[in-house]
Amino acid sequence: MRRRASLVLLALAVFLTALAPLLRWYVFPRMAKVPAGRYQAVVLEAKDATLIDYATLEPRRVSRLTMIQTLKGNVGQADKVKEATGRDVVVWDTLTYAAGPDGRMVTRIPERYVFDAHTQQPVHAGGENVDGTPVRRDGIEYKWPFLVEKRDYRYFDMMTRTTAPIHYRGTRSFHGLDVYYFEQTIPWTQVPLPRQLPLGISPDTVRQLGLERWYTTQRMFWVDPVTGAPVNGEEIHREEMRWTGHPEKKPITAFDGHVRMRPDYVDAAVSLVKSQRQLVLLLTDYLPWAFAGLGTGLLALSLVLEARGRSRDRRAFGGKRAHDGGKPARPAPAGEPLSRGGSP
Amino acid sequence: MRALAAAAIGLAAALTLVFAVTAIGPPRGTTSPEPLLTSAPAHP
Repeated sequence: MRRRASLVLLALAVFLTALAPLLRWYVFPRMAKVPAGRYQAVVLEAKDATLIDYATLEPRRVSRLTMIQTLKGNVGQADKVKEATGRDVVVWDTLTYAAGPDGRMVTRIPERYVFDAHTQQPVHAGGENVDGTPVRRDGIEYKWPFLVEKRDYRYFDMMTRTTAPIHYRGTRSFHGLDVYYFEQTIPWTQVPLPRQLPLGISPDTVRQLGLERWYTTQRMFWVDPVTGAPVNGEEIHREEMRWTGHPEKKPITAFDGHVRMRPDYVDAAVSLVKSQRQLVLLLTDYLPWAFAGLGTGLLALSLVLEARGRSRDRRAFGGKRAHDGGKPARPAPAGEPLSRGGSP
Repeated sequence: MRALAAAAIGLAAALTLVFAVTAIGPPRGTTSPEPLLTSAPAHP
């Protein structure tokens, strides 16, 4: 009975011990992925900002500029890209909509971002674009990969439509979470005008006035290292309309403000991340360590049972050994003389 | 020999479970009917 129990325990021990590394290095990379149908909105605000008035082409102070950023997972398009490339991808159709204090549109920039659901690396398929212009990303955007590393990443800048390093600047405590802080600075760069501008103005009209758009930003993210999701984002963002071919003429400030996530959205992001990180930690830490510990314990118990079983057997047969070199004496079948025991 | 068989059964069960779970995978979900927003919601 003990022998049987020790074998069952041994099978269980091997099962659990094998599961531990399999969960961490086989299941986790395949199961942890950004859901294809994710929908998320984030509201950011810039208080006391400077904004261009396109009617007069003069900058003016506004009490508040609101940026509404929506990410919507396009499952149908993701399936098509998967069929074409064989990769598990997420297609995000996004809209960054800036509204003035009166709620009217300031800019409206749609975007399509196609990326690997597991690694968050961009996938060049499925019509990735910014404001209708095809782009080719070579860095992340909006979200970091799972299990973020303490290093610089390459981050796509939607305005310049280029990818540049975003630097790891250390670990910070944020709303009870230990998060990684990243910073990216985009130097003054000429950028395309959005296709949709206020008052029905077209980019061509602005160009005909002899103006071009320049932009610089300092971008900051507080990122949960487990899920790779930012729990806070800020931008010190400046835009100017410069006179084409006339560097001596004073540029017009188109926007100047410190854009921050609205506090209720920060709370919502922190709450979501706190629940999601438990699922990731379950696969990377909690279950593998628990299974490894339990497996080792069961293995030890199985060995103890086996050893006890053997010593009991030895005790049981030890006194009944024959004088022929140690073959255990077996009870003779009925009717057979006992003298036949031993050597032939 | 019996110990080896028990260990093999444990290993096979672990591999079967892992391959089955990853083959099924998490649900894909569907595209949300919610629109891309052009006004700030009152709450997240």
